[in-house]
Amino acid sequence: MTDATLVRRVLDGDTAAFTMLVDRHAAACTRFAMRMLGNREDAEDALQDSFLRAYRSLARYEERQAFRTWLFQILVNRCRTAAVRRQRRQRMFLVDDNAVASASVQPAAESTELRAELRRAIDALDPDQREAFLLKHVELLSYDEMAEATGVGVSALKMRVKRACDRMQWLLREVSDVGT
Amino acid sequence: MSEPDSPRWLDEIGDELRQEVPVRAAWRTRLLEDVARARRPVAGDDFDDRNDELPMIPTASVETAVAASRRRERVIVLHPLAGIAAAVVFIALGVGATLTALSWHARTLADSSTVTGKTPRPGTTLASNAPADREVVRFELSAPTASRVTLVGSFNEWNPVATPLQRDSSTGKWIVSLRLPPGRHVYAFVVDGDVKADPTAPRAADDDFGSANSVVLVGGRAS
Repeated sequence: MTDATLVRRVLDGDTAAFTMLVDRHAAACTRFAMRMLGNREDAEDALQDSFLRAYRSLARYEERQAFRTWLFQILVNRCRTAAVRRQRRQRMFLVDDNAVASASVQPAAESTELRAELRRAIDALDPDQREAFLLKHVELLSYDEMAEATGVGVSALKMRVKRACDRMQWLLREVSDVGT
Repeated sequence: MSEPDSPRWLDEIGDELRQEVPVRAAWRTRLLEDVARARRPVAGDDFDDRNDELPMIPTASVETAVAASRRRERVIVLHPLAGIAAAVVFIALGVGATLTALSWHARTLADSSTVTGKTPRPGTTLASNAPADREVVRFELSAPTASRVTLVGSFNEWNPVATPLQRDSSTGKWIVSLRLPPGRHVYAFVVDGDVKADPTAPRAADDDFGSANSVVLVGGRAS
């Protein structure tokens, strides 16, 4: 069943269909929010807010657009708002204890170190670069989809992604031989 | 691969960052509770708060309700005779309502005696007047200190507000009976927001979202 069909079912009164949409998209949205905001508490608040707004505004969804892109449009905004709030609180990037605890296999020390460096590098990017980088290279959105989700032009997004890649490469150079 | 011509290091970073981040069951439960309470979307409406700031619902709504109740306060002055007449009317209404309630209670006791006379175990069926292909299944959980317990499962789309349990104050048990179709049903209890498996029932092998679920078979066959 397509996302658009589920949306129509919700609008026809089948609230349970929204549960299916949540289950279908929660993992990717959680990943993006966690990478953007760096900790689970802020990420879950942004996700909660995003899914609720999506539900209440569902009648505004147009099927010409992928539901995932439409949802990311809301999520990107919520993450931006959360990031501003976080700046006020001066919170630092935290390792997600919950995710570590729930991992079934303990990762190798080398992998953990690389992951920690990656997190630090992602966190060191400017927020607009981080957002563009994650949408492009992690969530694999096209530039047109990114433009819809972020409200930023394709040319500007390409520039942000390039700068993010350059900076990531520089930040990670000392950790391994990436980019060589 | 993120791009056909992207460098290898970028693909590796993308793969690493694309590792799944667990979705917490408690978060999902909280979301679905909020969704169940939220304004329901209807095709064709113009409602759109995707980019607005949310109002501070908990505190604002309480303050608004208090302010509204204060605004509604009115002082009514009655003539003494009018007051006596009003008292007579209220007494008559009260007596009538009491008699009606007693009559209803007596009928209810008579109707339910066939069910309450049994002592079912959790996950077992009761004799009932359910449709022929369904059976009444009683779920119960001992949680004396809990303030709210609901049932989520494959039969209610895992909706955490659809099926609340009633507390038996004499035993501390929370109980609900449902009419379920034959087959295998996966379920769990939500105790004050935490998802818990039924300690008296078999565990499901296909636990969702990292939380433990239980299984009940209705009609003796799995679906």
